[in-house]
Amino acid sequence: MWNPYLPLAPRERRILGITSVLAVLLIWAGLSGTGLVGPAKLPTPWAVGSAFLRLCWDADRGESLLGWATVYSSYRVFVAALLVVIVGVPLGVAMGASPRVNAALSPLVDPFRSAPVVALLPVLVLWLGIEEALKITFLFLGAVVYLVPMVRDAIVAVPRVYWISARDLGATPFEAVRLALVPIAMPRIADAVIAAVSIMWTYITVAEYVNATKGLGQLIQNAKRFSAMDQMFVGIFVIIALALVTYQIMTRLKQRLFPWETSI
Amino acid sequence: MTEPVAAPAPAVDPASPAAPAPGAVGAGLIELVDIVQRYPQDGGELTVIDGVTLTFDKPGIQVLLGPSGCGKSTLLRMMGGVRHPGVASPTSGTVNIDGEACHGPHEDVVMVFQRYANRPDLTVEENVRFPFRTKLWRSRIGKAEQDERTEAILEAVGLKDKRSLYPAQLSGGQNQRVALARALVLRPRILLMDEPFGALDAQTREEMQALLIEIWKGFPCQVVFITHDVDEALLLGDRVIILSTQPARIADDFVINEPKPRNGIWLQSSLANELRGRVRQMLHQGAA
Repeated sequence: MWNPYLPLAPRERRILGITSVLAVLLIWAGLSGTGLVGPAKLPTPWAVGSAFLRLCWDADRGESLLGWATVYSSYRVFVAALLVVIVGVPLGVAMGASPRVNAALSPLVDPFRSAPVVALLPVLVLWLGIEEALKITFLFLGAVVYLVPMVRDAIVAVPRVYWISARDLGATPFEAVRLALVPIAMPRIADAVIAAVSIMWTYITVAEYVNATKGLGQLIQNAKRFSAMDQMFVGIFVIIALALVTYQIMTRLKQRLFPWETSI
Repeated sequence: MTEPVAAPAPAVDPASPAAPAPGAVGAGLIELVDIVQRYPQDGGELTVIDGVTLTFDKPGIQVLLGPSGCGKSTLLRMMGGVRHPGVASPTSGTVNIDGEACHGPHEDVVMVFQRYANRPDLTVEENVRFPFRTKLWRSRIGKAEQDERTEAILEAVGLKDKRSLYPAQLSGGQNQRVALARALVLRPRILLMDEPFGALDAQTREEMQALLIEIWKGFPCQVVFITHDVDEALLLGDRVIILSTQPARIADDFVINEPKPRNGIWLQSSLANELRGRVRQMLHQGAA
């Protein structure tokens, strides 16, 4: 009997997931392999596979194009993520803990959650040029406008009784934030960081379209110039895979750091 | 105003002190003078507490009994707890603790909440030690004494073997023991308890009531205990103050000079029945 609250056996869940992925691969293979859709529009899975191998190791050049692209893109996401955490988390905590700070800063932050940060790119080019600083700043802005409100909401969501209790037990207001609100909000703050990094992986291609010299965005742009559909697909899949891997690593790390959260 | 009213039975003697606890230097003195609390409502004002004057000068368990939402909790928080933000509390009147005017959280006062307020991210022991993370208590109580007090109180509440568990792994009664231990580790002179056993099942509540009486003998402080449960008030109270509702005024105030722990059999005694009848009558009058 169908029941939305009935948990699924892990085996069944895995089988269903793998089946649907395989089904899409089969449809893809069918459409492209039979020539129903031409290779200029949709490469075959095996063409993408061999492009992947070629990009992994280019024997003519003696280097791994994909490897370098991955290193550059990961490096940019990592630096931007570091900046986002260093700037965004304290800002969000301050906004969550102080209605005054929140009132002053939320008009500067909140509109960008629904406004396109991508629209800022041409302006940023004029301000910052087209080098590394632009790419990092763009990733930073794209993610920080999501992170700050999420961190603020994480602090605001901490039940008031923990504040009252900490104050009652002798904590100063500042200590009550540092010793009670922030530690209790940490799992949700971690969720915010994970979401911010995921957003950066979606923005990385946009960041690397401008003056593309290195990175996965450049790899896709470059492939587009030569109409190499198979290579574009490789670039897209690698970005998806990297985003998934970072997500998994960070989720595991979060469970390790805050074991109490899963026991609630 | 603070004089207890005439007692219905010889054992209830307003002139004699509550639980004697001679030499109990650990108990604080609380004076409430003509407390009024008003909240703005629909352009006008709602009076929640109307002219409450009370003095707690003898150590013991002082029970504030009244229906839910009668302003007991607001009154309790004025006695050195953290007050509700936004509206001045009290609107008028003065609160003195140990003879000094009190306007907010007081160092010698600790509060125990109905919903425990145990930190989900800390273990039992970390929860109990939490007050020592503040600069105030870290600077006053040395590491050795922190350890000693933590061990003593974990022993007293019977949670030594649960020290490394998280609150989510404990029952409601065990959680309330953690909350009690965290409060008492500071050896407060005044302990405010806001319907602390209200969320517990009947049997656990009885266990906790017995535990409170036992622990109080080891740490004889001034306990102000809020409840809406008449039997709980009779079992625990050295003095019982009945508050009427909307606005809260003192409807009755009497001393119960019976030895503790009192049990279920005592609750069936003629004195307990008489007191229960008296309390019920006052509560009904207040509601009318």
